[in-house]
Amino acid sequence: MEDCFHCGDACNNGVVIHNEKAFCCNGCKTVYDILHDNNLDYYYELEQSPGITPNAINGKFDYLNNDIIIKELLNFNEGDTQIVSFLIPVIHCSSCIWILENLNKLNPNILTSQVDFPKKTVRISYSITEISLKDVVVLLSKLGYEPYISLNDIKKDAKTKDRSLTYKLGVAGFAFGNIMFLSFPEYFEVNEFWLNQFKHIFRWLMLVFSLPVVFYSAQDYFISAYKSLQSKFLNIDVPIALGVSVLFIRSVMEVVLNLGTGFFDSLSGLVFFLLLGKFFQQKTYNYLSFERDYKSYFPIAVTKLDSKNLIDEFQTKVYDLVPDDCILIRNEELIPVDGILKKGSAFIDYSFVTGEAKLVEKIIGDEIFAGGKHSGTPIVILVTKSVKQSYLTQLWNNEIFNASTQNIFQSLTDKISQRFTKSLLVIAFVSGLIWLFIDMSKSLNVFTAVLIVACPCALALAAPFTLGNLLRILGMNKLYLKKAEVIEQLAGVDTIVFDKTGTLTTNALHTISYKGELFSEEENNQLKNVLRASSHPLSRALFHHIKSEVSFDITNYSEDIGKGISANVNNETIKIGRFDFVASESKSNIKSESSLLQTTVHISINEKYKGYYAFKNEYRKGFDRLLNELSKDYKLIVLSGDNSGETTYLTKTLPADVELVFNQNPNDKLEFVKALQNKNKKVLMIGDGLNDAGALAQSNVGLSISENINVFSPACDGILDASMFINIYEFLQVSKKGVKIIKYAFFFSLFYNLIGLCFAITGHLEPVVAAILMPLSSISIVFFTTISTYLIGRKITQNS
Amino acid sequence: MTIIYLLLTISVLVALAFFAAFILSVKNGQYDDVYTPSVRMLFEDELVKPKAPKTKTEPTNKIKTNNHN
Amino acid sequence: MEVQQFYYDNKIVRKFIVATMFWGLVGMSVGLLLAFMFLFPNVTDGISWLSFGRLRPLHTNAVIFAFVGNAIFAGVYYSSQRLLKARMWKDWLSNLNFWGWQAIIVGAAITLPLGYTSSKEYAELEWPFDIAIALIWVAFGANLIGTILKRRQRHLYVAIWFYLGTFVTVAVLHIVNSMAIPVGPLKSYSVYAGVQDALVQWWYGHNAVAFFLTTPFLGLMYYFVPKAANRPVYSYRLSIVHFWSLIFIYIWAGPHHLLYTSLPDWAQNLGVAFSIMLLAPSWGGMINGLLTLRGAWDKVRVDPVLKFMVVAITGYGMATFEGPILSLKNVNAIAHFSDWIIAHVHVGALAWNGFLTFGMIYWMVPRLFKTNLWSLKLANAHFWIGTLGIILYALPMYVAGFQQALMWKEFNPDGTLKYGNFLETLTEIIPMYWMRAIGGTMFIIGMFLLVYNIIMTARQGSKVTDELAEAPALEKVTSKRTTKEGYHTWLERRPVKLTIYATIAILIGGIAQIVPSLMVDDYIPIISSVKPYTPLELEGRDIYIAEGCVGCHSQMIRPFRSEVERYGEYSKAGEFVYDHPFLWGSKRTGPDLMRIGGKYSDNWHLNHMYDPQSTSSGSIMPSYKWLIKNKLDKSNTETKLNAMVTLGVPYTEQDIATAQESMLAQGTKIEKNLYNDPDFAKTYEADKKYAKDNGLEFIEMRNREIVAVIAYLQRLGTDIKVKNADGTETELK
Repeated sequence: MEDCFHCGDACNNGVVIHNEKAFCCNGCKTVYDILHDNNLDYYYELEQSPGITPNAINGKFDYLNNDIIIKELLNFNEGDTQIVSFLIPVIHCSSCIWILENLNKLNPNILTSQVDFPKKTVRISYSITEISLKDVVVLLSKLGYEPYISLNDIKKDAKTKDRSLTYKLGVAGFAFGNIMFLSFPEYFEVNEFWLNQFKHIFRWLMLVFSLPVVFYSAQDYFISAYKSLQSKFLNIDVPIALGVSVLFIRSVMEVVLNLGTGFFDSLSGLVFFLLLGKFFQQKTYNYLSFERDYKSYFPIAVTKLDSKNLIDEFQTKVYDLVPDDCILIRNEELIPVDGILKKGSAFIDYSFVTGEAKLVEKIIGDEIFAGGKHSGTPIVILVTKSVKQSYLTQLWNNEIFNASTQNIFQSLTDKISQRFTKSLLVIAFVSGLIWLFIDMSKSLNVFTAVLIVACPCALALAAPFTLGNLLRILGMNKLYLKKAEVIEQLAGVDTIVFDKTGTLTTNALHTISYKGELFSEEENNQLKNVLRASSHPLSRALFHHIKSEVSFDITNYSEDIGKGISANVNNETIKIGRFDFVASESKSNIKSESSLLQTTVHISINEKYKGYYAFKNEYRKGFDRLLNELSKDYKLIVLSGDNSGETTYLTKTLPADVELVFNQNPNDKLEFVKALQNKNKKVLMIGDGLNDAGALAQSNVGLSISENINVFSPACDGILDASMFINIYEFLQVSKKGVKIIKYAFFFSLFYNLIGLCFAITGHLEPVVAAILMPLSSISIVFFTTISTYLIGRKITQNS
Repeated sequence: MTIIYLLLTISVLVALAFFAAFILSVKNGQYDDVYTPSVRMLFEDELVKPKAPKTKTEPTNKIKTNNHN
Repeated sequence: MEVQQFYYDNKIVRKFIVATMFWGLVGMSVGLLLAFMFLFPNVTDGISWLSFGRLRPLHTNAVIFAFVGNAIFAGVYYSSQRLLKARMWKDWLSNLNFWGWQAIIVGAAITLPLGYTSSKEYAELEWPFDIAIALIWVAFGANLIGTILKRRQRHLYVAIWFYLGTFVTVAVLHIVNSMAIPVGPLKSYSVYAGVQDALVQWWYGHNAVAFFLTTPFLGLMYYFVPKAANRPVYSYRLSIVHFWSLIFIYIWAGPHHLLYTSLPDWAQNLGVAFSIMLLAPSWGGMINGLLTLRGAWDKVRVDPVLKFMVVAITGYGMATFEGPILSLKNVNAIAHFSDWIIAHVHVGALAWNGFLTFGMIYWMVPRLFKTNLWSLKLANAHFWIGTLGIILYALPMYVAGFQQALMWKEFNPDGTLKYGNFLETLTEIIPMYWMRAIGGTMFIIGMFLLVYNIIMTARQGSKVTDELAEAPALEKVTSKRTTKEGYHTWLERRPVKLTIYATIAILIGGIAQIVPSLMVDDYIPIISSVKPYTPLELEGRDIYIAEGCVGCHSQMIRPFRSEVERYGEYSKAGEFVYDHPFLWGSKRTGPDLMRIGGKYSDNWHLNHMYDPQSTSSGSIMPSYKWLIKNKLDKSNTETKLNAMVTLGVPYTEQDIATAQESMLAQGTKIEKNLYNDPDFAKTYEADKKYAKDNGLEFIEMRNREIVAVIAYLQRLGTDIKVKNADGTETELK
């Protein structure tokens, strides 16, 4: 079997040979032609078959003719130039970058296009005189690079990237370097003839350099410290802010009064290292979004039909839909609102919502909920509720979704800093007092020295570096966390709630199993021929499932919408479809048995019932092993949206103490988690579909499983690649170890602080001592955490 | 050693100049995407035929990109 | 705004490549000749312009500025055009850059052997050339910046930043260090004196290495290594951090070249501290370069280009590791003045600069000529012989340096030096010099292979000169857009403009700062007994400079027991206040001359200059016969004295007015001393008679160059000796 020259997939359904190259489908071939005819074959030279099979897009982007919508998508529009940025999830290799940046070779009216690979976005500027936004999108889609445009893209205020941390770090680093340079001479030598001539300049220069460090780079610490004091709670930034300000004030004093060099190097070093920690901690997976709600799923616009003649089409934004509107849903389009099927027969896939790739068949008059994806011939739906009112979207009216009610999580560092700060102040005052009696002049010196040397730089660095590292390591193992704190929270979890469908089960391909009287080779063949005629998704699935070649032609084929298909193949009548449609004589036992299963297709030949094909999604490999592992340390609960059909199977395979709860609608799930938390349990929710969104948001940590991280998953704290599902236990272990490391690191840094305090209390804190002690402690902490996290990291990668 | 003044001034000025350059280039988003440029520079851009289409390009060998996830 | 087609200027790149190869051969051949002069000192006997002292600066300059310099231009001109998607800004600037640079080199190749040198290492060229260099360098910078401005690629690839950094810093360094007062068309005096001059020189000297031999090559590495390996640099983020951290602190590291000298300790230590810190960015870069090849080692095995680059990067790693080590005071105490340093620089030059250049050429030329390399075999042969050459060069020099340095410091139990005679320590390491010469020969053979291979490649290649490329112009930016998204062309142009402004600002600031330092330095404690040189001594000093004596003889006794024992009282900053330029030297192939004054008779010096081996057998010093024959040019003395006065040297009006008489007087005195040697008297009189008989014009000894040299040498280091009542001398402590 050959692989497609364009997309590299195996050519299962026939090979298209063209230019002595093999293609899996005409789509791929067309893309090749486009590129080849424009001398863009370099695309294929950069990478082996880098292409993506383009999807059919008939009418899909018609809404891009609507000026209001266009205006909302553009991020620049002036004169005859428009600039737009698209998210293109399929961007994956250098060929993608190259072709997307050479669009102008395909259409000269596209002026420039620039790819941001990490973000998987492309920024295109084009001249509207010759080409429209729609044309651009269509061009991209033709090449297989279909942009992802959703409700989210509109009304998004031009987000200016926040680079302040980089600036602050840059300023601190620069100042640190130069201040070091200026402070060294006096460390090396005192009262050297020439040095005495220059030290004043040196000192003043240092002072100047330190200003931006204190007043710009360090400002966040002051602010946060101030806030925390307001909320009567000493977080780690309080002692830091204290240290910084004392360092600065004392140093300035020393220079102004010409008493000494001051601690400018320690000061700038401290701030630099702290910011470095912050910088290190933030690892963002640009191309992932952890904030998704239904908006990311829903299209911007739909095709509205004139409610009288149901013919005239025009594009409207989904927000503008009101009850009694009629909308046209094409194949593979998403249903944005609740409504009633008015025309055609619908096969709705609710996998977005339930995580289960199951085709529900709807017939005229049935109620259809938003969030489903229709496949098959176009249908017309009568809108009953507006987007905001729809069943699915109501979930987001729950208060958990407005950021104000975020569960406040007190980090380990802050817990420590509580005690630390208090004791620090005590020590400072006490030793200050004592010196009042020993030696007045030194008292203030000692007091400040204590505050300076005990400034918890290392303490503050421990968590960021540990967590930052783990964040990367987990990322490498395909667990993408929203932010570093999540690891700490993960470590604290004691209860794990699983969603069943899509989480425990794959939402990928169905497994098709046949039950009943086996077919002869010929019957098999006939079956395939009949199925070939039908466009029904299940028929297509079966058609690909049955292995046989396509030969004879069929006669009087008939498709009975919502029931099944029948046809004659060399005068044998073959019926495929629902039980009642196929089976003439009553086979109640089969009926009842099959009804428990999700989807079945029954077969009869010459009115003789043969058996049925069952479509069910399979459980993930090793999920039972995983749950057994977990059940040792955690309370496990399985929530499921659908009926208790599989209770028997689950109870059989899962450890006894796993709790099974069925028939949970999105809101129930949310409430369920809340209930657990009220019994002050720390809940980890693992789900996938939109229907879990509530629970994911409510839980202490919400992980969403995703077969393909580029395809979307609901708002959560972390996204786990489905392939790593069975490693959840390891991940939890890692998070616990991570917290241990932080604790060890704390001891380290406290130890350093003690040494420092010895100098300080005895009144021997020379600038040199501080200048050595501070970087030393910080750097050794960084080393310790980095190495130990690295070791942990190696373990998981071995295990998985 | 008045020369120190000279060297100090110059060194600091040079450093400051580059520092400013650094700040500005960050500001301009030069470093918003610190991966794509390293791939972009690998592309052969001399495959162009002067406005005469339908000509085969010279073969070039494969570039390995580590897909950032 | 629409797609534009344009041509890359490959002609200029080719020119620079040719120049690189040509000057590479020249520079290396001179180096080889010098290497053999260690073994056969008088191989160029009697030819003044082929003497060691004069050729050494030619070698260093040819290799650094001609070979590496042209390589930089070749690489920069090739890569920037492609990285910026634009032809170089102005072709005439490109050509001015090329021809100007070559002209300067030719000028150097003529003037240096003729003895026109400022004696400042890596800045030996005299003032007219300094000006020319500044101009051509600015032309290069303008061309680069112009290209950046009209680029068609928004992002400035990190390599470009390295080029920019190189341009600015080198410009500043060159100008500051070359500040001098001309006293003739090809003669000038540094405005700085003694310690200050030393500090400026090594602030420049180190940064010349840093910003001429390193930053541009890092830029080239970041372009050519990924290209050759065909994979993106290991971490682009790291490369950016690398550049900025390097550019922020590199400039501070200079003074480590002056450890234990009369430079203030704190300044020395500063140099040390920062040199050590430099380890971080340097190795960051090296690791980034090597890791770029991770997973491509199979390619490395077959592709000579990558092989060269791997060795180059490794060499960079070694050199940048050794550097900080060498800057540790106790290590430096041994290594300084010895052949260790020679080994160190050659690891850098041969491996890092040489091999990266070779890799670059092997990669570029086939592309420039639209063909494949003529012979991979030959390239591989070059690689192996070159690598072997480097090893054979470096290792013996390490051993030699170490061995000799230890012998210098070795004492007998009775407290006298074990090897009191400097020559003993020299003869020990002659075998090492042999090996070094062999290693050098191999490296040069490799170079010939390259040239042949490249010529053949060019022959078989197509004659297409410039390559067509196309890219859309960057769109104009309006205020409206500024408010909208992140990056904007007009803002991006700022750093470029800014670099220009900054440079100007720096220069203004610099000039303003020079004024005070033009005065003789009030901060240096004046040693009352230290007096300016007499006119004759000054002329002698200029000859000392012209002959490049400083290349082998230091004038800086470091405060070690071993050196004080060998050479006398250690040097004091106050002794150099009138030294424009300073002559501390950086290598002791021969002994230190700080306190040579009064050690030997005038006759000894005469004979030694005429035939060194006669006075000190086993010496590898070449003879300086011509000094003894040549007439001393006194025409310019007054101008020189006046120049010195402007620089703050206290010559009185009267001193200057009577310059000629005083020279004659001092010369005659020396001539008289020489008569103490009967042999001299005999031969000298004979010559005189012979000349008289044949009616030839005869130059009195008192008017010959040698007299000036002797006068200078006999003066050296004597200022702080004071006569005691009993006529003996004691040294001022």
